[in-house]
Amino acid sequence: MALLGFLIVFPLVVAAVLLAVRGDGARNVIVGASAVIIGVASVVLVATNLGTPGVYFEFSSVVLDYVCTGVSVVLVGIVLSFAVRYKNLLAGVLALIQLAGALVLEFAFAHEVEVPIGLYFDSLSLLMAFIIGVIGGGICVYALGYMRDFQAHEPADAKDRRPLFFALMFVFLSAMYVIVFSNNMMWMFTGWEVTTVCSFLLIGYTKTDEAIANAFRQIVMNLAGGIGFLVALYVCAIQLETLSFVEFIMLGVADPALVGLAVVALAFAGITKAAQMPFQTWLLGAMVAPTPTSALLHSSTMVKAGVFLLVKLAPIMLMSPVPSMMVMLVGGITFLLCSFMAISQSNAKRVLAYSTIANLGLITACAGVGTPEAVWAAEFLILFHAIAKSLLFLCVGTAEHHIGSRDIESMDLLFDRMPRLARFMMLGIMCMFIAPFGMLVAKWATLVSFVDMDQVALVIILAFGSAATFMFWAKWLGKLAGIAGEPENVEVTVHKSEWASLLLMAALLVAACVTLPLISAFVVEPYVVSVYGILGQGITTDNLWIASICVAIVVIVLFAGMGGSKARKVDVYLAGVSRGSEERAFQNALSGTSVATARNWYMDDVFGEKRIAPVGVVFNSIIMAAAFVIAAVAPMVL
Amino acid sequence: MTILITVIGTILFGLIAPVVGCLLAGLDRVISARMQGRVGPPVLQPYYDVRKLFEKESVAVNSVERTYVACALLFACVAGGVFFTGGNLLMCVFVITLSSLFFIMAAYSSRSPYAEVGAARETLQVMAYEPMVLLLAVGFYLAAGTFNVGDVLALDVPIIATIWLVFLGLLFILTIKLRKSPFDLSMSHHAHQEIVRGMTTEMSGPTLGLVEIMHWCENVLFLGWIGMFFVWGNPLSIILAVAVVLAVYFLEIWIDNNFARVKWQFMLKSAWAVALVAGGVNIAFLAFM
Amino acid sequence: MAFASKSPWVIHYDGSSCNGCDIEVLATLCPGFDGERFGVVNTGNPKHADIFLVTGSVNEQNIDVVREIYNQMVEPKVVVACGICACSGGIFHDCYNVIGGVDKAIPVDVYAPGCAVRPEALIDAIVKGVAVLDEKSQALKESKKRGE
Repeated sequence: MALLGFLIVFPLVVAAVLLAVRGDGARNVIVGASAVIIGVASVVLVATNLGTPGVYFEFSSVVLDYVCTGVSVVLVGIVLSFAVRYKNLLAGVLALIQLAGALVLEFAFAHEVEVPIGLYFDSLSLLMAFIIGVIGGGICVYALGYMRDFQAHEPADAKDRRPLFFALMFVFLSAMYVIVFSNNMMWMFTGWEVTTVCSFLLIGYTKTDEAIANAFRQIVMNLAGGIGFLVALYVCAIQLETLSFVEFIMLGVADPALVGLAVVALAFAGITKAAQMPFQTWLLGAMVAPTPTSALLHSSTMVKAGVFLLVKLAPIMLMSPVPSMMVMLVGGITFLLCSFMAISQSNAKRVLAYSTIANLGLITACAGVGTPEAVWAAEFLILFHAIAKSLLFLCVGTAEHHIGSRDIESMDLLFDRMPRLARFMMLGIMCMFIAPFGMLVAKWATLVSFVDMDQVALVIILAFGSAATFMFWAKWLGKLAGIAGEPENVEVTVHKSEWASLLLMAALLVAACVTLPLISAFVVEPYVVSVYGILGQGITTDNLWIASICVAIVVIVLFAGMGGSKARKVDVYLAGVSRGSEERAFQNALSGTSVATARNWYMDDVFGEKRIAPVGVVFNSIIMAAAFVIAAVAPMVL
Repeated sequence: MTILITVIGTILFGLIAPVVGCLLAGLDRVISARMQGRVGPPVLQPYYDVRKLFEKESVAVNSVERTYVACALLFACVAGGVFFTGGNLLMCVFVITLSSLFFIMAAYSSRSPYAEVGAARETLQVMAYEPMVLLLAVGFYLAAGTFNVGDVLALDVPIIATIWLVFLGLLFILTIKLRKSPFDLSMSHHAHQEIVRGMTTEMSGPTLGLVEIMHWCENVLFLGWIGMFFVWGNPLSIILAVAVVLAVYFLEIWIDNNFARVKWQFMLKSAWAVALVAGGVNIAFLAFM
Repeated sequence: MAFASKSPWVIHYDGSSCNGCDIEVLATLCPGFDGERFGVVNTGNPKHADIFLVTGSVNEQNIDVVREIYNQMVEPKVVVACGICACSGGIFHDCYNVIGGVDKAIPVDVYAPGCAVRPEALIDAIVKGVAVLDEKSQALKESKKRGE
C-alpha cells in the first residue's frame, strides 16, 4: 500500500518542484529521473503482484475526503476563471452545476456513508498502472526534447510556459493512479475531474483562438460526463448506501435492476471520456496541442480512464440489458464510422485520432458485451493500443519537427530521409492493424466474443470496420515504404531523449507482442478469473504462439532484413524518356520536363466527415437518450 | 504441438501448392485460349515462364522490394500451412492478409507511378473483399461450432447445407482474390493494362517469378476455402470437393473471359453489398434461428 | 537447357510506322495466328519483356524512347526489327528527320522485312529471335557461374 501511496503522491511532488524550476538542465534531470522512478515503481508493483486476484486495503480518512472536496472546488474555480475570461457561458454553468452537486453530495449524503476499504488493486489496475507509469513516463521524457524544439519554433518573445506544461503532465499521471487504485468512488471522482481539467489546460496550452475553442469543447463535454458520474454517485449514496466501487459492482451483479440508472450514468461518463460519438470532436480538437499532450491523452491516460471504467462495469453489463445495449451500440457505431472517416484524412494526427476513437469504440463494445472473453480482448486492446499509439504519436511529432509537416503526403520517402524513424513508425502502424501483431490478436478475440454472444450487428460492424482500418493504415504504410535514391538524411538532429522514448515504446511493443501468451497468463487471465470465476479466452495458446513467431519474423525483416540485395539497381519505368528517376521526371510531349506525382486515395465523397459524422452523432445521441429514459423509468414502472 | 504441425504443413504446402497452382494456371490459359477460339500454350507454360524469369538477370529498383515479396510468399505459405493442416480459419485469413500487405508494400516501395496506382487499387480491393472473408470465418464458426478447419471431417453434413449464402458471397469475392476480370484492377494477366502492369510494373526477373509462385499458392489456398464447404465425415466427400473446386475454377475462367473490367466504385459497392446481404443474412439466421 | 526460348514475352513499340506493321504485329498475337502457342505474351512493360518488336523507322523524336525501352529490358534480350522501315528506314529513309533503321539506335538481332511485314514472317522472326535468346541466356548463365 505504501507503493500505491507513493505512486499517487510522488508525481504530485515532482509537479510542484517542476513548477518552480525554470532551467532546462535541471528540468531534464528531474523529469528524466522521476519518470524512471515512476516507471520502475510501477513495474515493481506489477512484478511483485503478478497473478493477484485483487488486494484491498482498509484505509479511510476524513481528511482525504475534505482534500478531495477542496480539490473539486479548486478545479471548478479554474474552469470558472477561464469561462469568465473567455466568456464561455456553457462551461461556467456546467462547472457550477457540478460544484453544487459535489458539495451537496459531500456534506448532505456522502458523510454518512462509510467506505472502509479506500484503496485496492487487482490485475486490471496493475495493467493500467504499468501503462500509466511506463508509457506515460516515456512520453514525459520524450516531451523534454520535443518541447525544446517547440519553444524554439515559437516567436522569440513568447513566454516560456514549459514549467506549467511538465507539471500538468505529472499531475495527470497522479490523477490516473488515483482513478485506478481508488475504491472510494468519491476519490475516484476527484481523480476523474483532475484529468478533465488537466487536459483542458494542456489542450489550451498554446492559447491560440483555435486551442482555446477546442479546450472549451473538451471541458464542456467532459463536465457533462462528470455530471453523469455525479448522478451515479447520488444513486449510490442514497439508494445503495455505499460508495465502495467493489461493493457497487457486486451489488450490481446481484441485482442489475437496482443499479440500472447508476450504471447508465457511469457508462455515460466513460463514453464522454473515451470520446465516443457524439463526443468524438473533443479528441479531434485536442490535436492542436503539442504532440506529447496528444500522445498522453490518446495512449496512456484520459481516454483510457474512460474505457477502464467501462471495462470495470463489464460484469454488470453482462447482467443488465439496457446499459449493455447502450454501450455496445455506441461503441460499435463509433468503431465503424470513425474507421470510415479515417480513410478521408491526410493529416497524420487526425488519422491517429480517428483510429484512437475507433479502437476505443471497440473496447467500449467489448465492455458492453461483458463476457469473460470480451474482457480478455478489451484488456489486450487497451494494452496494445496504448503502446502502439504512443509510439506513433511520438514518431509523428518527431517527423513533424524534421520535415515540417504532419501531412501523410509529405511523409513520402521517409524511409530514405529518416530511416530509423520510418521503421519505428512502420512497426507502430503494423501493430495497429495487421495480424499477427497484438492489436489484431485482440480484435480476433473480440470477434470470437461477439460471435459467441450472437451479437450479429457487432460482428458485421467489426467486419466492415476492420476492412476500412486496413485501407487507411495500408496506404499510410505504403507512403512510408517508398524508396528513391539517397536523399539527405535529416534525422541526425533528433534529440537523444526522443530516441530513448521511441526505442522504449518500440521495444515494449515487440516484447508485448512476442510475449502475449505470457501476459495473458499472468496479468489478463487472473483478472478475468477473479471477476467471473471462470477463464474466458477465445484463442488457444498454440495459436497465440504462432502469432508470436510471425511477429518475430516480421520484426527481424523490418529491422535487419533490408538492404542486403545484390541485384543491379535500375530506374523506374516512366513510359517514355525519363529525366531523373528519383524525382520521377520524364520528357513530355512537348519535349519539356514533367514530374509524375502520386497521392493516396482519400475518397472524400464516400467516406468524408461531412457525410459520415452526422449519422453517428444522431444515432448515438438517440441511443443514449433512450437508455437514460428507460433506466430512469423502468424501476418506477416495474 | 500445433506449432510443429503448422510448420510442417507450411513446408509441405510450400512444396506442393506451387505444383498444383502451376498446373491450374496452365489449365486456365489453355481453357481461356479455347474459349477464344485458339489453340493456346502447353499446360506447362506457366512453369516455363517462371523458370525463364529465374534465368533472367537480377535487377531491382531498390534493395527491399524482393525482401517484401519474399515475405509475402512466406506468409502465403504459412496461411496455406495453417489451413491445410486443419488449423484455425481466422488465423489463416489474418496471415493471408499479412501476405497481401507485404505485396502492397513491395509495390509502394518502388515508387513507380504505375506500381503506386496498382498498390492503391490493391489496397482498395483488400478493403472490398475483407468483410466477406471475415464473415466467411464467422459463418464457418457458427455452422461447424469451431474455427478449426480440420473439424469439418467430423461433421454429418457438409457446411454448405447451412451456409450456402456465405458460399455465394465467397464466390463473388473469389473473382477479386483470384485477380480475374472484371475485378483485376490492380494488376491483370491480360495485356490491356492502362497502368502498365500495375503492382508488378517494377518487378522483373526472379522477383516476378516469386510473385507468380505466390499467386499460385494463393489460388490453391482460396480454392481450398471453396472445397472446405463440401467436405464432411464421409471420406468420399473429398472427391466431391475436388470436383466442385474444378467447377468453380472453370466458372471463374468463364467470368474472366466474358466480363470487361469495372470501375473501383462498382467493385467496392457490389462487394460490400454482397457481404452485407449474403454474409449478414446468413449469420443472422444462424445466430437467431 | 534454357527456358528463355519457351516463354518469349514481347513488347511492341511503334517508332514512326504507318501502322501497317503494327496491325500485323497485333494480328500475330490474335487468335488467327495465336502466338501464345509458343508462349508469346504481349507484356507492354519493358521490364517483363524478352523480345523487343519495333515497327517503323527511328527518327530524331523517338530515338531516345527506343533506347530507353531497350535499356530497361532485362538481360537476356533480343530486338526484332519488324517491317522494312524498321530494318532500313524504308520509303521514309530520305525524310528530313528520319535517322534510319532501328539499328541506328540499338543493336538489332533479327530483321523481318516486308511492307507490311506478314504475320508468318513475324512468327519466323520471333522463332529466330528465340534461338538468339537461348544463346544469350546460356552466355549469361556461364558469366554468372564465373562471377561466383
